[in-house]
Amino acid sequence: MTQHHPDSFILMEYSAGNLSEPHALCVRLHLEQCPYCRSRVDMLDSLGAVMMESRPKVSVDDSLFDRLLTRIEDEPAQQDPIEVALRGHRDPLRKLLGEDLANLPWKRQLGDVSVLDITDHFPGQPERVVLQKLTPGGKAPAHTHRGTETTVVLQGAYTDNKGLFKQWDFIVMGEEDTHKPIATHDDDCITLSVLSAPLKLTGRLTRLLNPLIR
Amino acid sequence: MSTLEQTTTRSEGHRDPWGVKLERVGKHQDREAYRLLFEHFAPQIKYYAIANGIASHAEELVQEVFVSIWRKSSLYDWRKAAASTWIFTIARNQRIDMLRKMQRTSAEISVETEDLWQIPGENEEEPVTALHRLVSERRIRDSLKHLPEEQVTVIAKVYMEHKSHQAVADELNIPLGTVKSRVRLALNKLKVILQDENV
Repeated sequence: MTQHHPDSFILMEYSAGNLSEPHALCVRLHLEQCPYCRSRVDMLDSLGAVMMESRPKVSVDDSLFDRLLTRIEDEPAQQDPIEVALRGHRDPLRKLLGEDLANLPWKRQLGDVSVLDITDHFPGQPERVVLQKLTPGGKAPAHTHRGTETTVVLQGAYTDNKGLFKQWDFIVMGEEDTHKPIATHDDDCITLSVLSAPLKLTGRLTRLLNPLIR
Repeated sequence: MSTLEQTTTRSEGHRDPWGVKLERVGKHQDREAYRLLFEHFAPQIKYYAIANGIASHAEELVQEVFVSIWRKSSLYDWRKAAASTWIFTIARNQRIDMLRKMQRTSAEISVETEDLWQIPGENEEEPVTALHRLVSERRIRDSLKHLPEEQVTVIAKVYMEHKSHQAVADELNIPLGTVKSRVRLALNKLKVILQDENV
């Protein structure tokens, strides 16, 4: 099991469906491998359901149910549950990047560091989304962050002044944090990082401006 | 008998009535059960859409959610998730989907909403978690009534109005730290924060 988890506030915003797509991807990748966080999200989803049930209700148009029946009549007969379940098996990372992380079109940046910018996979989202690969024992240059940097370790492990971060660990670095990651010696270390927009926009504004950003 | 066992026996004894109806839809395409689910959940989902700022698409969202319920009901298993939790996650995903479609300029979409936000109980074989879910939903429902209004308000804005904790702080004109401490107190009370967690 992983040692570094998203906090309850991130998981709540995930459960509420409020995170941007790249941030949701980071949480989703961690959840896949972390039963502890899955059970926290389960409880938060239940909290969402109870919230929805405790709020006011608004009656719907009388004809809506009949229109719905007409619509489902046009649906193909009940789908084969096995086929649906198979199709339902979703691995977002593989969908985005294919099977082989090692052979992506990496761009060598400095001696030990290669990067691949995958921001274009998330049209309309304000964050930058970057994969980084350190060779075994490789050092990334020390850096600080504008805004926050959310990272999930996809392969291998790295250390910095905060500790040891292994596969599927979830790390959030704030503006004030400086770090100098060093990959462990056994393997390439590949991380997925989401960098919040340099402009510090609050949630609602971000959404309003979203269509204008790209 | 431990508290967990007692609660478990109780939930076996009172099977979630909506879960039973949902299974009837899934197994027998039971339209009467489907109608009862609609009458109960459609007004909640319509409010959810309005609170989320998509009032002009509120009934469209209700319809999309129920089409999705119809399609997925054969995968629903009452032992894996309470019906209301399952339906909440479908409503959430349909809302996300609708906003994504409205905002997208190109047709290109590489990651689908359900790749990022899963529906509980799909692709899993863990009966333990499932039981845990039913028990925790009941507990959350019971203890929510005893939470101070200021805590409920903050959580409601996150879940119903699609707001980040920062946006809630801005709107209520209180520091982010205050919002977070209200959430933390509430999650502790609802036992959503597990005991070994320090946030």
